Amino acid sequence: MEELARFAVNHSLSLGAEYAEARVQRNLGNTYTLKNGSAEPVTVTRKLGLGTRVIVDGAMGFASTNNLNRDSIKIATESAVRTAKASKRLFGSPIRLSEEKMSDARWEAKMKIDFREIPPEQKFEVLFTIEKSLAQENVGVKLPSRILLFDEDLAEKSYVNSEGSRLYGFIPRLSLLFILTCEEPGKGTMQRIRHEAQSRGWEVIDYWNIEKIALNDAKMLGKMLREGVAPPKGEVDMILGSEVTGIICHESCGHPQEADRILGREAAQAGESYIKPGMLGQRIGSEHVTVIDDPTLPNSYGFYQYDDEGVKAHPRTLIKEGIITELLHNRETAAELQVSSNAASRSSAYDREPIIRMANTYMKPEDHSLEELVEGVGYGVYMKSFMEWNIDDRRYNQRYVGLESYLIENGEISTPIRNPVLEITTPGLYGSVDAVGKELEFSAATCGKGDPMQGAPVWTGGPPIRVRKIRLGGGMSEPA
Amino acid sequence: MEEIVSSARKLGVESIAAGFTRSHDRMVRFSNNSITVTNSWETESPTVYLMSGGKRAACKIEEQNPNELKRVIEGLVNTMKVTPAGDTVFELPQGPFKYQAIPGLYDKKLAEAETELVDAVETSINASKKEGASRVSGVVISHAWERYVLTSERAEGSDRGTEIEMTVRAFVTEDASGQGISLGTSLDQFDPEEAGRTAGRIARMAQNPEAGRPGRYKVVFGPTVLANLLNRVGDSASAYTVDLGLSFFRDMVKNKVASDALTMYDDSRLPNGPGSIAMDDEGYPTQQINLIENGRLETYLHTSYTAAKFKAKLTGSAKFEAGMAGMIPAARNLVLEGGDRTLEDLFDMAQDGLYITNNWYTRFQNYQTGDFSTICRDGIFEIKDGKLTRPVKGLRLSDNMIRILQSVKALSEERQWIRWWEVDIPTLTPYALVEGVGITTANK
Repeated sequence: MEELARFAVNHSLSLGAEYAEARVQRNLGNTYTLKNGSAEPVTVTRKLGLGTRVIVDGAMGFASTNNLNRDSIKIATESAVRTAKASKRLFGSPIRLSEEKMSDARWEAKMKIDFREIPPEQKFEVLFTIEKSLAQENVGVKLPSRILLFDEDLAEKSYVNSEGSRLYGFIPRLSLLFILTCEEPGKGTMQRIRHEAQSRGWEVIDYWNIEKIALNDAKMLGKMLREGVAPPKGEVDMILGSEVTGIICHESCGHPQEADRILGREAAQAGESYIKPGMLGQRIGSEHVTVIDDPTLPNSYGFYQYDDEGVKAHPRTLIKEGIITELLHNRETAAELQVSSNAASRSSAYDREPIIRMANTYMKPEDHSLEELVEGVGYGVYMKSFMEWNIDDRRYNQRYVGLESYLIENGEISTPIRNPVLEITTPGLYGSVDAVGKELEFSAATCGKGDPMQGAPVWTGGPPIRVRKIRLGGGMSEPA
Repeated sequence: MEEIVSSARKLGVESIAAGFTRSHDRMVRFSNNSITVTNSWETESPTVYLMSGGKRAACKIEEQNPNELKRVIEGLVNTMKVTPAGDTVFELPQGPFKYQAIPGLYDKKLAEAETELVDAVETSINASKKEGASRVSGVVISHAWERYVLTSERAEGSDRGTEIEMTVRAFVTEDASGQGISLGTSLDQFDPEEAGRTAGRIARMAQNPEAGRPGRYKVVFGPTVLANLLNRVGDSASAYTVDLGLSFFRDMVKNKVASDALTMYDDSRLPNGPGSIAMDDEGYPTQQINLIENGRLETYLHTSYTAAKFKAKLTGSAKFEAGMAGMIPAARNLVLEGGDRTLEDLFDMAQDGLYITNNWYTRFQNYQTGDFSTICRDGIFEIKDGKLTRPVKGLRLSDNMIRILQSVKALSEERQWIRWWEVDIPTLTPYALVEGVGITTANK
């Protein structure tokens, strides 16, 4: 693989490129699915090809091919160089890359038990075990639709660039996805999507305790449907569970602090950002809010040790005690803003250019137990999990609709409530955090960005947090 | 492909649908009035869908190594032996079939275009700036493809096509933006100037927006918003999502799901249609499928598996999708019939309401009930006394899909092809006036 990547880089340089990089990447994917107790097709995907990126006269070009003979690689590199040159007349300032220490390394996420060695029938057995645990006699509720999906992905990549970096990376990832629909006569339906995923081997199956997770989710849906009442109106205090804290950190901290968005590179697709480069050092939240993005968390779904520009990964503190401290950079944005790259450049496959992505984004825990957080609320809402969410393309106006949610009365969790709506601005939300829990939990997600779309594996996480004086949306508005 | 089908047969597989696609794609992205990157992709990928005794398996091999393909198929056949049985026994469509060519799908000039894409970027930026934009961003993508389908049931065919798609987003100030789109299968149908002009005009009109107010409004949706929502209608009309419990059209065939004004079809045979193909990925001839006729849901879209399960007719909608099911029913060209109104008529009918030009980030609280929200993006305008007045911002559409479909009051005669980052299925759609649309805002 490395030899082919080096051939592409050398060929680009011979064509006049001032910078070239190439990555040969293989992705192996297998998916096993049970739908309402019967098997869906086992599907297999294989991707192997070369992607190369060049800078020619200050203009950037990317090209890929999945034909790995040298003639095809030449055609791809020539295409990258030619199209970059052709676009030069409409390029603004010449692209520069930040100066970084070059790397020569092999890295991997280790598998104690190689999932490729596990026979397919054993993978189905895992799904059938979950399926059995979801029987009505176990969960006490009707689940007319149960989708259980087990996905394994193995990425192997060899990267070289014209500045001397040389890397080999190997990442196995296992995912388990549930989609459960619960139905209760006279009460309608509720749905739950849960995604557990890690970068490790088959040993994760024992770690997850997935039967219990599925059982608890199913019982929760039944309870919410049967007992859920309308959410309160007016101003309340809220406890947001780890799952909600995690999505908040991802959507309204991680995304707006991606420097490519801030510089307008994603304006026509994923959008821009309410944050400007000059806002570093500015307060955006209370002193309890510290948000970290860390690619190096062992076993995490967003794990990597070197990014796809060859820069060594490390944790990034995006917000520290309420102050915006760091943006997510690749080498291009780092050069433009005169800082160093913090290794946020990732690509999902050989045929995608590397772009700025989050890895594992979470709020730093403090010292409160959940009980202590709840004790501090006279009348409020505990939104433990969510289903619907979205945020505007400047990452300012966001909405989370609760799934498992409860009233809090006199410092105690009480009645289930259905679909409470938190619709709030980013500073309004982070500025209202007055206490942060100590139990850190993560959820898995696939983050969408880029054109063509690139799904990036990430973790979102945090402890439960308490936010004060929130006015719930609470369903449809009345006529204007 | 013949070798794949015959070797899979020798391994004991009852039915095989094999496909091969070769594509050549180019992209130019730009922001802040400058090109930021060019992309070029050359891809060849075989796909194989296997079925034996109701058990199914599928693979997509984007790796040019015949031995790897052979190994994967052998592995899948062994996996099928230990896979639990599926819930439905079915047959692939019995060929041979005659496929009629669809006019207007291939443009040699577009297949070879390269500097033309850079020219298009320049044209669109200039058109936007002429309307008053200060910053212009966007993307232009060309796609040339050829495909070949062969099944064990004697279906065999090939076709080819080209597409070009451009999205332009113009900004006058940070919170005054607009979007324009051009989509076609040939350079002749492609109009980057109009895409740039539309984006620039909306951005200019959207200057100095004030905070919008929550409530229920009469809303005129631009084609981009309607296309986004109709894509969800297309998804929900797939028997696959119905089967998964993820459709808001569950148990609704032959029921009223929309207002009388709404007639919609999926037409994979549309001349010049960006998603048109002569045969589906199971080799069945494509056709125009009436999905909603005067508000009544007529059918779901089917593959041979879902048609057998739902006891329905094939619709020529099979699409190979690596991932959950291998072969799923999917819309290719969604077409909403136009009405007899002008855009100004719709504003006049609304009298007081909102005009929303774009949206993104549509997410569901419950896919079965259709409760969802989506963010209004770019120019949003108040309508007062039948005329556009001030621009507003900070609004979210929070409602229910069936309620929205049933509240469509009128449609424009003018229609536009839409596909962009937030709209996957090419959609030909008019403007629409919808009553009682839920609009929410941030509370803090």
